[in-house]
Amino acid sequence: MPATATLTDDLFAPEVIADPYTYFGRLREIEPVHWNERFSLWLVTGYDELVWILRHNELFSSAVIRDAAAPPYPPVDPADVPLFDEIRDFRADQLVEKDRPEHFDQRSVVHGYFTPKAMEKWRPFVRAAVEELLDDIQPKGAMDVLTELAAPLPVRIIAEMMGVPYEDRDRLRAMADGILYINRGEPYRFRPLVEAIRGIVDYAAPLVEERIGGEGSDFISVLAGGETCGVFTRHQVLVNTGLLLFAGHETTMNLICNGLLSLIRHPEQWERLRADPEGMARLATEECLRYDPPVKSTQRIVAEDVDLGGRTMRKGQRIRWIMAAANRDPEVFSRADEFDIGRQPNPHLSFGSGIHYCLGATLARVEGQEVFRALAERFERFELAGRPIEYQPSLQFRSVKSLPVRWTA
Amino acid sequence: MNAKPNARLRIEVDHLCCVGNAMCLALAPGVFAHNESRQSEVANPKGGSREEILDAAENCPTGAISVSDADTGETLFP
Repeated sequence: MPATATLTDDLFAPEVIADPYTYFGRLREIEPVHWNERFSLWLVTGYDELVWILRHNELFSSAVIRDAAAPPYPPVDPADVPLFDEIRDFRADQLVEKDRPEHFDQRSVVHGYFTPKAMEKWRPFVRAAVEELLDDIQPKGAMDVLTELAAPLPVRIIAEMMGVPYEDRDRLRAMADGILYINRGEPYRFRPLVEAIRGIVDYAAPLVEERIGGEGSDFISVLAGGETCGVFTRHQVLVNTGLLLFAGHETTMNLICNGLLSLIRHPEQWERLRADPEGMARLATEECLRYDPPVKSTQRIVAEDVDLGGRTMRKGQRIRWIMAAANRDPEVFSRADEFDIGRQPNPHLSFGSGIHYCLGATLARVEGQEVFRALAERFERFELAGRPIEYQPSLQFRSVKSLPVRWTA
Repeated sequence: MNAKPNARLRIEVDHLCCVGNAMCLALAPGVFAHNESRQSEVANPKGGSREEILDAAENCPTGAISVSDADTGETLFP
């Protein structure tokens, strides 16, 4: 009997959702390239194998939603199943789903917006937005980190990047919250999601019309410029606006919540950060990314038969790699399961690798660094409110449902 | 910058940072190439114009590329 027979094959089992590190760590030890029969997909958990796959993009197609979308899981209300096509059409046309050569042309349009130098210019704005949120929060003595800090901060930044007028910010926030249902498990989730998708298209369409052919440097103008030079269709301009709103929101929320949770649970590391918030913020953010990443896993479709890790992956099969597990690979990281905010070097895979390396990594880093720095400067100590932390039932994202904390104000 | 326009350039790729995003290969194809791990390396520092090389360095998402004047040592990027 193979050693993996002792492990559950139910990737949505409560213990796997609650603690992916034990489950996928065990899988990595036994079989770093593993076929899961129940969900019909390959699971890759070894660091070297992941990097190899990520760097051989021609062998693994990103058009997963278009070509291989499994039925919605967890299941949705039967009356809502027809909404799946609308969701798929929206998501399948986004940049993240494209392969080369299309991917290169599309990414080139937006790539310059997110260079390290370009994102450094956003640091003062991010810093001010963090301070504004914390000014309101600090006197209260308690908060849900998710809804009061981690969710609003990235949306504030995205609104500014999109050039959304002040009076529309609440509307944008509502759409941003709706689009988070991509990652949720409730049976009714398609309805708020479709409402958010339609809302984004309705909202962005006149902005694109207004800005196309203009001189604007906001993100919508940049996307519209891609239409002008024939790289994007109008539909793609609109759905990529939605991509920014989702990809820049869900992930950053998770970085802030998961990172703060790690710091709270490791008080000696929290004290290290408090001793030098400005100096330690950069490395601490990298370790937060490694130790409990915003994205647990990502998927592809095998584009041609590939031999890896002693197994043969066949064309058309789905493959999911678990960077959360690869980030704990003892072949690469010494004391891999230890949270050490001074860890250097830290070649984690939380932003992926290769041609699809996270476009927003530079922004995520600025946001993470500014939040962890400001929290360490302002707060002496946080306590968890005592309830067990619960996670969304997602294979892809590591998302808490809430993170209630208290402090002495 | 004081470096002469045709100055020899010293270009380095930090392999602890390089993630194989391959933008540099597209922006300065005569200069950068992939090694076996599909990380970037400098195949020919004279294989492209100064503008192309600085553009590649600026567009590296992890800041893995540094450029300096090979003779004076002056840092040109970052």
